[in-house]
Amino acid sequence: MGGETTVAIGNISCQVDAGEFVSFVGPSGCGKTTLLMSIAGLIAPTAGKILVKGRAVNGPPPNLVLVFQEFNKSLFAWRSVLGNVLFGLDARGKKVRESEGKAKALIELVGLKGFESHYPWELSGGMQQRVAIARALAYEPEVLLMDEPFGSLDALTRLELEDTLLRLWEELATTILFITHDIEEAIYLSDRIWVLSRRPSEIIEELWIDFPRPRHQVTTRAEGRFMEIRNQIYKQISNENTA
Amino acid sequence: MRESKLNGMFFLLALLLVWELAARAEWVNPLIVPAVSKIVGTFSELLWSGQIPLQILASLKRAAVGYALAAAVFIPLGIFMGLFDNIRRALEVTVEMLRPIPPPVVIPAAMLFFGLEDEMKIFVIFFSCAWPILLNTLDGVKNIDRVLLHTASTFGLPQRKIIWQVILPASSPQIMTGLRVSLPIVLILVVISEMVGSTDGIGYFILDAQRRFRVAQMYAGMLALAILGYVLNQLFNLAHRSLLPWHWGMTKRME
Repeated sequence: MGGETTVAIGNISCQVDAGEFVSFVGPSGCGKTTLLMSIAGLIAPTAGKILVKGRAVNGPPPNLVLVFQEFNKSLFAWRSVLGNVLFGLDARGKKVRESEGKAKALIELVGLKGFESHYPWELSGGMQQRVAIARALAYEPEVLLMDEPFGSLDALTRLELEDTLLRLWEELATTILFITHDIEEAIYLSDRIWVLSRRPSEIIEELWIDFPRPRHQVTTRAEGRFMEIRNQIYKQISNENTA
Repeated sequence: MRESKLNGMFFLLALLLVWELAARAEWVNPLIVPAVSKIVGTFSELLWSGQIPLQILASLKRAAVGYALAAAVFIPLGIFMGLFDNIRRALEVTVEMLRPIPPPVVIPAAMLFFGLEDEMKIFVIFFSCAWPILLNTLDGVKNIDRVLLHTASTFGLPQRKIIWQVILPASSPQIMTGLRVSLPIVLILVVISEMVGSTDGIGYFILDAQRRFRVAQMYAGMLALAILGYVLNQLFNLAHRSLLPWHWGMTKRME
């Protein structure tokens, strides 16, 4: 209704395997968020089809959850840390009695033990995003979508959270679809990276990242291959920006 | 903060002292402005004789009923207007037409419908705080961030649960603001409606005292209202703190 419509996404055809960690990287404004929102069933694509576990997406799929970049807006300000995580379990339909223990275990897993009764505003940004991740994991999603989840955190906190995320991913065996504009972050985290073009975005490159896991912030990033891949993606994206 | 409050107390005491001296020295006509000591004396007499508590109670009953009714009707209405654009558009013009009417103007019409009974005052109070409650609730719902609503739906929450578990708590601070803004309005309207047509209540008491030229009693009634307003505000803060502890803490930190 009104305004111009922009075609954010062009021809994208891709498939993510169960248990995979896949990232999209691309120039800013390339429609990454639109893509993720469509997969999450929050907006309907004007054309094309999205399948999650073989079922067409028509509204939010039951086995998938989206973590937003804006943790300060996505957390429930009126719920404590524990309350926020319990929300994920409630939404999954868990019984109250077994929930609390599980929520506390998840809070410990993301490194927030002792903060259960704090409200979100009492926490730092990094801690808030930890809560959002714990809440998402409490829902036991088979697919976790993440829209630049660490984009507004300081560099050190970001590295910490990357490792937390990898640990949780390995432990809980979820499929993660990750969006970032940080090329190195994508390489460090992913099994596979798709590089997107400017809008209407299309996949211009698919890269398999086969550094052994567990990865290490210092040694993995210091490998020669790491820099090669980074430079390759960087060239592609900057070509896109000047094209 | 403590110090500034102390300064404030000093100023008030100094003002009262000047008043006392001015009345005693008859710089002002003591028939119109009795000494503070006399007003306080009269106030305490009326307090212990039970007359002021009785009048306050009569006013409070009306105020509470009108206020509660307005909250019960206009908070849900505001939520629905915030949720459904077609409801909002259907009602917006009517609200915008009714809202600028100064509430005391409603009294003559209310008298036609309800006479001088309690219902008249309750209706006027109901009308007067309808708009701050409605519009604040509506604003609160409309200003909920999309990310929050998207989060709720990504967790598969159905619409009905989103209303109870997300929209209501997320807009509760602003609903609270509407209720807080209404508080002094309620006090004003209960007094005015009692002055216009009543045989009891603090508004009636003050006007009656003035007509019988019991000036000290009139001021004592005003003092009672000042104290009442202060106490109500403190009670409201208490309610805010216990109902929305998370929000109370958040706003206290920002001060």
